[in-house]
Amino acid sequence: MTDMTYRPARAGIGPIGVTTLVAAIFVLLFLAGIGFGSTWIPLEHVAHVLFGGGDKTERLVVLQLRLPRVAAAAIAGGAIAFAGYLLQRITRNELASPGVLGVVDGAALGVVLFMAIFSSETNSLIVSVAWQPLAAALGAIAAIGLVFLLSGQQASTAIRLLLFGIAVAAVCKALTTIFMLVGPIYQASQAARWLAGAVNTINVTEIQLMLLVLVPTGIAAAIAARHLPPADLDDTSSRSIGLNLPAYRILIFFLAALLTAGAVAFAGGVSFIGLLAPHMARLLVGRARAAGIAVSILLGAIILIGADLLIRVAFAPTEVPAGTVTALIGAPYFLYLLMRKDKNNG
Amino acid sequence: MSIAATAPRYRSIVLSRSAIYGLLLALLALAWLTSMTLGYRLYTPGQVWAALFANDGTEAATVIAGLRLPRALIAPLAGAALGMAGTMVQTLSRNRIASPDTLGLNAGASLAVVVATIIFGVQSLVGLSLAAAFGALATAIVVFGVAAGAGGLSPLKIVLVGVTFASLAHAAVEILLTSNEAQLQQLLFWLSGAFVDRPISLFFNGLPVVLVGAAIGFALASSLDAAQADDSTAAGLGVPLAAVRGAAFVAVSLLTGAAVSMAGPVAFVGLVVPHVARRLVGLQHRHQLTAAALTGAIYTTLADVAARFVIYPVEAPVGAITAVVGAIALLVLLRRRLA
Repeated sequence: MTDMTYRPARAGIGPIGVTTLVAAIFVLLFLAGIGFGSTWIPLEHVAHVLFGGGDKTERLVVLQLRLPRVAAAAIAGGAIAFAGYLLQRITRNELASPGVLGVVDGAALGVVLFMAIFSSETNSLIVSVAWQPLAAALGAIAAIGLVFLLSGQQASTAIRLLLFGIAVAAVCKALTTIFMLVGPIYQASQAARWLAGAVNTINVTEIQLMLLVLVPTGIAAAIAARHLPPADLDDTSSRSIGLNLPAYRILIFFLAALLTAGAVAFAGGVSFIGLLAPHMARLLVGRARAAGIAVSILLGAIILIGADLLIRVAFAPTEVPAGTVTALIGAPYFLYLLMRKDKNNG
Repeated sequence: MSIAATAPRYRSIVLSRSAIYGLLLALLALAWLTSMTLGYRLYTPGQVWAALFANDGTEAATVIAGLRLPRALIAPLAGAALGMAGTMVQTLSRNRIASPDTLGLNAGASLAVVVATIIFGVQSLVGLSLAAAFGALATAIVVFGVAAGAGGLSPLKIVLVGVTFASLAHAAVEILLTSNEAQLQQLLFWLSGAFVDRPISLFFNGLPVVLVGAAIGFALASSLDAAQADDSTAAGLGVPLAAVRGAAFVAVSLLTGAAVSMAGPVAFVGLVVPHVARRLVGLQHRHQLTAAALTGAIYTTLADVAARFVIYPVEAPVGAITAVVGAIALLVLLRRRLA
C-alpha cells in the first residue's frame, strides 16, 4: 500500500495542534447543533445550561428536546468513525469501512430481527430495549465473520475483500426487507426511516445504552489499537515481528463490529462516515496513531452532527434521515478514492 | 461465431438445444399455471380457465382476471427482460458478476422513476417507462465513464463503482421519499420490487419496450459473439466495437427500464439468469439471449409464487426473495471466480 504515505497537511502545527483545532470545531458545532431550532439559543446560553445553569424553559428545550439528537449524532458518528479507522488499518485497505464490509447491514439485520421477534401485537417491545444493542452486535459480528470466512486467503486483496463485503451486505439487506414486511405497517415505516440512519428519534434511555456499550468498547479498542502494525509494513513483516497475528486481527474485527453495532443499534445505517472520517484524519495528522484515532472520532462526530444540522436547515420540517446526507457526500468521495488509487497503482 | 463455438465447457452434451428449449417452454407453462392457480385462494386449472372468460363479477373472476393475470403476465416479461439485459451486460463488460444490479442500473432507473413521479408529477405509464430507461442509460454511461477514468474496466472495479453509484441513488431516493410522506409506503413496496397489485396496463405498456430491446439484442447477436473475445480479436473480425457497445447499452437500458417501470427493481435476476442460460445453451448469443429470456421468465414467475407463501398470509416483495437468492449466488460466483 504505497499510497498510504500521506504528508501531514498542516506540518506547521503538528498532530496535537490539529487535534486541538478539530476538537474546538467539534465543540462549536455541538453547541450550534443544540442552539439551532425553532428558536435560536445563543451558544453561551447552551454552554451555560449544559453546565447546570439557565432558566427552566431553556433547560427543558436544551436538555430534553435538543441535546439527545445532537449527543446521539456525536456518539454514533464517533463510534462508526473509530470502527472505520480500525478496519482500514487492520486490512491495510483505505477503501474498507463498516458499511462496505457488511457490518452496518449485519447490525441492522440483527435489530430488525430483534424487533420482528420481540414485538407484541400493539407494536411495543415485549423485552427490554436494552437487548437491542446485543442483537445489533450479534448481527455485526456474524456479518464480518462471514466476510472473512468466505474471502479466506483473498482477504489481503483490497478490492476482492470489498466485493465479498458488498455481497454479504446485499444478503443482509434483502433479509432485512423481508423481516421488515413481516412486522406491522407502523413498525415497517419506522424501521425504514431508522435503517437510513436517523438520529432525531433517539431518546435519553437509548443514549445511555449507547454509552454503556460504546465507552468500554472504545477504551478497549484504544488500548488494542496500540498494537496495530505500522502502515508501511506488509503483512508478512508485521507477523514476523509479532504484530498483526491472527488472534489480534480477530480481536480488532470484533471490536470494530461492536463499535459499529453500538452506533447502528439506535442511530441506524449512517453510511460512509466510517470511510470518510479516518481518511480525512490521515490527511490532517498523517500516520500519528493517537492523534489519528482522536481526530477520526471527532471528525465522525462532526460529520454526523453537521449532516443532521444540514437536514434541519434544508429540509425542515421534514425529518430526512441523516444517513442519506452522509451517503450523498461519502459515495462520490469513495468513487474519487477508487479512481485515484488506480492511477497511483498504474 | 466460431470463437463462441470453440468453448465446449459450457455446451450441454446431454440434450440438444431444441430439447432444452422445449423443456424450458414446458417449465414456463408449468410455472405460469402455478402462478394462476396457487395463492391465498387455490383454484383448479379448470376454474382458472372458466374465470378468465367469465367476467361475471364472482370472486373467482375478480381474483383471477383482476389480480392473478396481471402478475402472471408482468412477472415473466420482467424476468425475460432482466435476463436478456444481464446477458448483454456481462458480455459487454466481459464480467461474469456484472448485472443491471451490480452496475447500479436498477438503482438509477428507480431514482429516475421517483424523480419523475415526485418532482415532475409524471403519472402516465409511458412517461414512467421512458424515465426508467433514461435513468438506466444515464447510469450506465456514468458508471462506465467513472470506471474508465479509474484506469481501465477491470471487472471488480466496475462493480465497485456500480455498487457505490447505487448507494448514491438510494440515498437520493430516500430523501425524495421522506420529503413526501404520503407516497412512502406505496413506493417502499414498489422499490423492493414486486409484481403484485400492478395494473395490467403496465404489461401492455412494457411489452413493446421489451420487444424493441430484445430485437436490438438479437440483431447484435453475432457481433456480441465476437465482442466476448478481447478487443483486438473483435476488431480483427470486423466488428465495430464502439457502435455495438453503444447499441447494446441502449438495448440494456430499454430492457432494464421496462422491467423497473413494471415491477420496481427486482434484484439480481440479471446476475443469476445469464449463468444458467450459458450452462444450458453455450456461448452463442442468439441462443444465450433466448435461453436467458426463457429462464428469466421462469425464475421470476416462480419467485412471484414463492413471494405469496414465504411469510404467508402476508405477501413478500418478490425483489426481496430474488435478492436473497441472488446475493448468495454472487457470493458463490465470487468464491469461484476469484479462487
